[in-house]
Amino acid sequence: MRAKLFLLVLAAIAAGAGATWLAANANAGRPTEPGPYLTSLVGAALIASGLASWRARPDSRLGLVMVATGFLWFAGLMSEATDGVLYTLGVAVEYAFVAGFIYIILTFPSGRLRGTLDRWLMLAAIAALGLQVAAMLFGSGSGLRCSGDCGHNLIQVFGDNGFALTLLNLQRLIAAALTLTALVLLVIRWLRASRPERREVTWVLLAGTATLIALTVTVVDDLIGGPLNSAPAKIWFATLALVPIAIVATFVRRRLARGSVAGLVVQLGAQNEPADLRAALSRALGDPSLELAYWFPAEARYVTGDGRPVDVPGADSNRRSTFVERDGTPIAMLLHDPALEYNEGLVQSVCAAAGLALENERLQAELRARLVELNASRGRLVEATDAERRRIERNLHDGTQQRLVSIAMSLGLLESKLAPEESGAAPIVREARTALTLALEELRELTQGIHPTLLVERGLPVAIEELCRRAGLPAHLKVDLDTRLPDQVETAAYYFASEAVTNAVKHSHGSEIRVEVSYDGHMLTVNIADDGIGGATVGPGSGLRGLADRVEALGGQFTVSSPPGRGTRLVAQIPCA
Amino acid sequence: MRVAVGDDAVILREGLARLLQEAGFEVVGVAADADELLELVDRSEPDVAIVDIRMPPTHTDEGLRAAKAIREAHPAVGILVLSQHVHARYAIELLSSGTDGVGYLLKERVADLDELSASVRRVGQGGSVLDPAVVSQLVGRRRQADNPLEHLTDREREVLALMAEGRSNKAIAERLFVSEHTVEKHIKNIFGTLRLPHSPDDHRRVLAVVTYLDSE
Repeated sequence: MRAKLFLLVLAAIAAGAGATWLAANANAGRPTEPGPYLTSLVGAALIASGLASWRARPDSRLGLVMVATGFLWFAGLMSEATDGVLYTLGVAVEYAFVAGFIYIILTFPSGRLRGTLDRWLMLAAIAALGLQVAAMLFGSGSGLRCSGDCGHNLIQVFGDNGFALTLLNLQRLIAAALTLTALVLLVIRWLRASRPERREVTWVLLAGTATLIALTVTVVDDLIGGPLNSAPAKIWFATLALVPIAIVATFVRRRLARGSVAGLVVQLGAQNEPADLRAALSRALGDPSLELAYWFPAEARYVTGDGRPVDVPGADSNRRSTFVERDGTPIAMLLHDPALEYNEGLVQSVCAAAGLALENERLQAELRARLVELNASRGRLVEATDAERRRIERNLHDGTQQRLVSIAMSLGLLESKLAPEESGAAPIVREARTALTLALEELRELTQGIHPTLLVERGLPVAIEELCRRAGLPAHLKVDLDTRLPDQVETAAYYFASEAVTNAVKHSHGSEIRVEVSYDGHMLTVNIADDGIGGATVGPGSGLRGLADRVEALGGQFTVSSPPGRGTRLVAQIPCA
Repeated sequence: MRVAVGDDAVILREGLARLLQEAGFEVVGVAADADELLELVDRSEPDVAIVDIRMPPTHTDEGLRAAKAIREAHPAVGILVLSQHVHARYAIELLSSGTDGVGYLLKERVADLDELSASVRRVGQGGSVLDPAVVSQLVGRRRQADNPLEHLTDREREVLALMAEGRSNKAIAERLFVSEHTVEKHIKNIFGTLRLPHSPDDHRRVLAVVTYLDSE
């Protein structure tokens, strides 16, 4: 690597020296001559920044293309030579560097062409280079717009300077169209870019845009006969030096960005609010879209700070992920803009600096994730219980109750068929019927307790109304609810009311109960108050505790206020939109 | 008297049909769900349709809805709804669609053949029947101490319950072993205490009494 680099630098110096000498001693008068200073400046800038880019990202093609473009630039200067071979070669590759420039500008910073249009633009550029060679088949040295002491064109086959000029004009037309298209493409890309992306490309894009505009002016000026003489070309060459400088500046900026990590360390040391971690990292990385996800080992996946699951973005996603590990175990995942990939050093330093803070956050996120999971499982338990209750009630109704009723019918029939002389049997049958009626009554109470059918069929207000009708104390009901709510909400509210009323009747020693049900579109509130002795508590194992669980499983709130001697008020608030 | 039976459980509708035949009713047919029952009633115009409240497809209150449909299409057909639950609400819904020829009974009442045939007859003749369990829930409901119902004597409360069940003065007198005259006196007192407009018609007073009991 080192030797290769050394050879490359030597070759560059040699090529640069040669090209500069040629530029200084040019005696062919053409409209597009860079002169010795610009020649060495543009070439050196390209090759030097190309080597820097190559070292920074050896896997990217960009550095290579930049170095090659630098050499092509020098090679083009051979068209100033008087020697036939050098002259022919020089004219053939005179504008090859333009293709390299267009490639660099289009693909920075990834070094990869991004779409079909990019490929077509490159193809058009190469075709334009081909036209140069084609023109050389027809035109003599002077026919190729060279006046003065031109070299001899060795590959001229036909003697038709007019046609050669036509081909060259066609080449310039293609070049103008190409640069204009590339300009539009760059502007669109810039407008669409995210903030981190813009930060990466802005300088190169500005330099590239200046180059392309200058090139367009030069080409058009050349096409219409060059009334401005060589001034546009001089400006164009000057702008050419801007692109490699902008690229080097971008590299320097990336390095400088890592300085923000020091600020981050200070900030993380000072702050206690974990919610600011994302903001701090986002500032340090310069990516407002940054999201953090934490490793949740129990389920082997990443979760947000609130404990909700997060998917790792796939390869085709427009987000990238960077994983943070400590001692081989995952801690967190940073979801960020793809443009941050070009500054891996910054991302890695930020991750290293924030490791401890991220680990702390991860523990909290894990806790929250467990809570989310716990709530969900509590909800599922309540749901499963309700489903089971429904099933039992249905089975009792369709099975046991019907069989008992059918036995009662048979007994009734038997009673009617008893002959008068068997009158001793009649009381026994009647007794059996009475016992059966009692059994059915008990079964009825039981099934209603298990699963209130009226609630399902007529909704909460009707079911609570029936509850109040049956209550062992005078119950005043006020209902402000005219819509059906989700099953589990209605069920929780009903059981809550039922248990609260039963408690009031059994334990309050009060004289009346007030039941209020209201719904404001977001929250169902059930409020049950008595005028009894107060002093009720929600201890473990009490019926109230079970109700609190039910209400809380739905994300609701349960409050008890029971000052001694001043009655008990139980309030359940269940959210439902 | 001609009767149609609707119940989704085979053993119950067949058992009920047998019981009714035993008691001297003509059973014009049995149906397994509300639609079948409506067809049966359309076809044979019975005097009374007995319908289970809980039937397919949803097993909730199909019987009640069938009852309303029959009411509209055949006002002359009496309807007796059977339920396994004491739901005063359903009874009141049923009564408020017109007290003539409607009844709400718990299913197990069918075991008492005398009571069953008396109820079916009453409904068939345009009277009303309300299950004693529902009535006792309405009458037994706990109320404020100053409620007019609290001023009734026990005997008057008994009479009130029997009225709510849909019984005639004569039936009440028989049940309580008193003269019809005494029953009339009780009823006058009750209506006075509760400040209800007096209605001599056995049938029409049921709704007045039930509505009063439910609203207090």
